This record gives sequence, structure tokens and C-alpha cells, in this order.
Amino acid sequence: MVDFLIGLFLASLIVALFTTRLYRLLLWYSMNSLMLGSLALIIGKSIDDKAMIITGAITIVVKAIAIPYILKNLSQKFHFVRQITPEIKVQYAIMLVPAILVFTFYLSEPITHMIDTNANYVAISISSLFLSLLLMMEHKNVAPKIVGFLSMENALFLLGITATNGMPMLVELGIFFDLLMAIVVINLLFHKEELKI
Amino acid sequence: MNLSLLLLPAIIMFGVSFLKNKKAKYVLAFTSFVILGPIVELFLLPKPYNVLGSYLVADKLDTYVLLVSSIVGIGVTLALLTLDKHVKVSPKAYRKFYRFFAIFWVGLIFSILSNHMGIYWIGLELATLSTVYMIKTNYTPAAHKEAWNYMIVGAIAVSLILFGIILMYASAKPILGENAMQFDLLLKHAKEIPSPFLFEMGFAIATIGMFVKMGFFPMNLWLANIERASFYPVAALFSGILESAVVIGFFRFSQIAMKVNYNHLFIFVFVYTILTIFIVSFLIYRAKDFMRLFSLSGVEHMALIVIFWVSGAPFAALLHFGAHAFLKPALFLSTGVLESNGKYKIAGALRGYKGVKGTIFWFLVSLFLLAIISLPPSPMFFSEIYGFGAMISTAKSSHHMLAMIGAILFLLALLSIIFYRFVAIYQSMKYEGEEEEKTVYTSELVALVIFAISLMALLLPSSLAYLKSIG
Repeated sequence: MVDFLIGLFLASLIVALFTTRLYRLLLWYSMNSLMLGSLALIIGKSIDDKAMIITGAITIVVKAIAIPYILKNLSQKFHFVRQITPEIKVQYAIMLVPAILVFTFYLSEPITHMIDTNANYVAISISSLFLSLLLMMEHKNVAPKIVGFLSMENALFLLGITATNGMPMLVELGIFFDLLMAIVVINLLFHKEELKI
Repeated sequence: MNLSLLLLPAIIMFGVSFLKNKKAKYVLAFTSFVILGPIVELFLLPKPYNVLGSYLVADKLDTYVLLVSSIVGIGVTLALLTLDKHVKVSPKAYRKFYRFFAIFWVGLIFSILSNHMGIYWIGLELATLSTVYMIKTNYTPAAHKEAWNYMIVGAIAVSLILFGIILMYASAKPILGENAMQFDLLLKHAKEIPSPFLFEMGFAIATIGMFVKMGFFPMNLWLANIERASFYPVAALFSGILESAVVIGFFRFSQIAMKVNYNHLFIFVFVYTILTIFIVSFLIYRAKDFMRLFSLSGVEHMALIVIFWVSGAPFAALLHFGAHAFLKPALFLSTGVLESNGKYKIAGALRGYKGVKGTIFWFLVSLFLLAIISLPPSPMFFSEIYGFGAMISTAKSSHHMLAMIGAILFLLALLSIIFYRFVAIYQSMKYEGEEEEKTVYTSELVALVIFAISLMALLLPSSLAYLKSIG
């Protein structure tokens, strides 16, 4: 089940890279977060870690539901461009994505020997980090860049779950707080842009 | 002494920033002085002092960094009183600036005092996000663009730091459990970490994140562009406070990395800093305005602090750090006056100051400009002598002595380019160009005097003894 969810986590991120519509991108981000939250719930239950179960539930509520909803509202309020064509052409991106995956598996090989549990998942979370960076790079519009930044947080969260069997609860909650603060700042930045127009 | 006392000034500032009364800004400036009370008390308490369990612990290093940062904060709030006299700023933007400054200050207190990698990161992220809006208080398209740039590059940098922290935590968790996030325990058990490679990998990634935030190679120009586009107090906050929070993180992580494998750490940082100074020295040579000049010079000094620290000269690094934290905000705040008759006018910038206030202003700015290029008796002169001495000692004990001495000579040659450029700029400011009358206000002058006194205080025997006791 964990393998299946982690596969879907990666797949939703890859699909997001090829998306050309903003709302569809938000949907894929939501799916990505849902898979992450479910993973935290399942792994947390299997190792009997209540903190991980709580953070998994918060992930689903905040990242899979609240943040996509807020971003969709913001996009309507500030009339974002909804046609978001990636700067990297599909035929190149389709070669780049597997190259990143193979490269990160090769890159993280020495690390995976040192981690007893879920060693391959560490490689997947590192590749997710690179794919999120690619998502930020391949778009000129601000909205997909924000989604790229949020996906990067998801990749780091996955790394936290897989490499360390979960970080301390305090840190997880702090990260959520910072994420919400980021959304507030993003809202303010857009707000000013609108005032100027 | 508890945490609420330390946070109180920031909370008052946050509350007062909602008042629409024009006199409120004076209360805000006064509030920044209040922070000195709990910090002085922290100095007097025995170290290490637990401010909040084992999460926030005040030791000699972070008390020093906190004091330096609070003095910079006072100077910046004083200079903010006359911001509207030099640039166009709306009252609403003013209030929002203070609001986010309060949040920034809370983030920094957590970051500087943290004994926990996770809390350090949370504080740093909070401070980074609050700065984004401070950049935006300047309602220009350039500031708007740079605020987004800062948001995105800053987010990537802090994500890299978190990535590194997770790997470092993973490397030590088998022996320390959830306590593997604590700096003091990690330092104590550094030699027992079961997978040093994983730790070093995490350290390298976190360090790259911190170096990106400080404007090191290959991100040399992003900070300069942001500081150019935002109001000058933002640049002062960046150079005097935010970079302090980043560099204290580097000090903490590198203390552990030194115990894990000193040679790897030294070579990594040495190569990185030389590369950074190589690029920055030529960028400084081509700089055509004060903001970019001071910003790039800030990158150079941060690189020197980092290399002195890993060369085994913490005294030199901390003295350099303190001197830079006072000098650079002072210079950034001076740009408000220096650029009042045109942004890119270097020639004659130090001419046209009348009266007592004007004379004190140009005299202080001249001193700061000459002190930043380490002319004696600047504290930077002494820190560089100690720092380069330590680097040569490290080179002598290494297996590649000649290569390392060659690299140090190359570094000195690069620094001489910067020295030459600053002297040329100073001469142009003082002896070239037309004389145009400029106004200096009392509050900004008081801020500069505070920085000058703090710089002199750094050279007191008791201050030097305190810094030596940290190493």
C-alpha cells in the first residue's frame, strides 16, 4: 500500500509538470498532498507514531484541501492567467523527467545504504525535490511557481517521513505555521499588484 | 528571565503598528530600545542559560549575536523616523513595515537562541517571509518584482537548509533519537554519529542553502538587486540582522561538522569562499551605485567571516562579524542621505554638508567607508590579521601547504582590488563632482553615532576578552 501511494505521489507531481491549466495544476497539487497525508497516516499507524498520524491528518486538511482552495480563490480574485504553458517543450520535458529520476537514484545510492527503513523512498523524495524545482523553473507565471514551492515542501515532508520515520511534532507544526504565513505573504503580494493596476 | 520579556518589545511593536496616529512611529522607535533590557540581563546570567527548556538556550555566542542584532535594530528604527523625508512612502506602508519588522524580530529571536535545528529553521523561515513584505513597502514595479524574486529564491534556500537538517537528523537519530535535533547533544556525540557521510551530505546541502541566502557563488547578484529595489532600511536589516541569523546557523552546524571531519569541511568552505570572493571582487570593481557596492561588499565580508571561522579563528570571525554588523547597516542607512540628490551620483556625494550635523555626518560616513576596507584602527583590521594568521597556520599543518598559501595570496590579491575600488570611490565622493546642499536629520545621525560607539566598544579589552572566551 505504501509503495502504491508513493508511486501515486510521484505520478501526480510528474503530471503536474505537463499541465497547461492552472486549476488542473492545483488539483494535481491537492492529489500530491493527499497521497503524502495518506502515506503519513499509514506509516504512522504501522510504527505506532501518534505524532505522524496527527501531522498526516493536518497535511490532508491544510495542504490537500485548504491551500488549493485558497489559491483558487486568490486566482479568481486577482484574475490570474489560467493558461500556463511550460517554457520547456513537452518533448524535452518527457526526456528530462526520467533523466532526473535515474540521476537522483544514482545520486542517493550512497545515502540509501545508510538508511535502514524505506531506503528507496529517500531517493523518490529527493527526485520529487528536483521535479518541484523543475516546475518552478519551467513556468514564467507566478502561480505555478508558488505551486512548485509548495510541492518542494511536500518533497521535504516525504523525506522527513521516509528518512527519519518522522520529525519531532514541534518541528512539523512549525513548518505548517510557516507554510500558512507564506500563504498570507503571497496573498499580500498579489493584493498590492492588484492595487497598482 | 523568561522568553516573554524578550518577545515583549516585538509584541508591543506589532500592536502599536495598527494605530493610525502619526506620533505612533516615535513609540515604535522607543520600543526597539526596550529590547536591550532583557539582553543585558541575559549577559549577566550564567551560561548556558535555558530560556525555554532545552529548545532555546542562551550561551555566550548567541547572547553576543543577539546584542549586536538588537543594536542594529535600534539604529534602523531611528533611521526609519525620517524615511519619508528621503523617499516617497505612504503612512499605510510605514505601519505595515513595522508590523512585519515585529514578526521578523520574533523569528530572529527564535533562530538566534535556538538549540534545536528545527526551531532554528522555523525562525529563519519566519524572518525570511516577513522580509518579503518589507521589500514590497516600496510601491514600485522593481520592488514588486524583487519581492517575488526574494520569495522564490529565499524559499529555495530555506528548503535546501531544511533538506540538509533532515539528513543530519537522520544520520544521528539512531544514537540520539528525537534529541538528534539538538545542537549541544549533536556536538557532544559528533564522533559517534553512525553514518558520517550522511551527516556531511546534509551539512553540505544546508550550507549551500545558507550560502545562497548570503549571496555567495553562484547567487552573487540576487541580494544586491533586491537591496537596490527596496528602501534603504531593508538593506540595513538584511546586512545587520538577517545575515547574522544565517551565519549563526553556519557556526552551529560547522562546529559539529568540524568534529565529524575537519578536512572535508575546510576544503569545501575554502574553495567556496575563494570562488565567491573572486566573482564579488570584480562585481564590486564594476559597481556604479552605493547600494550594490555595499551589498556586494557584504557578501565579501560574510565570506571572510565564514573562512576565518573554519580556519580555527573564531575570535577573528566574531570580531569581523560584529564590526561588519555595525558598519554595513550604518553605510546602508547613510545612502538615504548620500543618494538624496540622485541614485547613481557617487562623485561629490560627500560634499555639500553644512552645519554641525552635516559635518558630523560626512566625517562618520568617511570613517565607516575607510573602516569597511579594514584600515586601522577599524576592528576589521585586527580581525583580518588574526584571521589570515589562522589560515596560514592551517595551511602549514596541511599536506598541501604551497597550494594553500598560494590560494591565500590569491585571496589577498582579490581583496586588494576591493580596497582599491573603495579608495577610488571615497576620493570621488570627497574631491570630485559638484557641491549640492543636502539635509541630515537628527534621528539618522543619532543612529550613526550609536553604530560608531558600538564599533569602538568592540575594541575595548573587556569586549575582546569576551569574544576570545567564546572560541
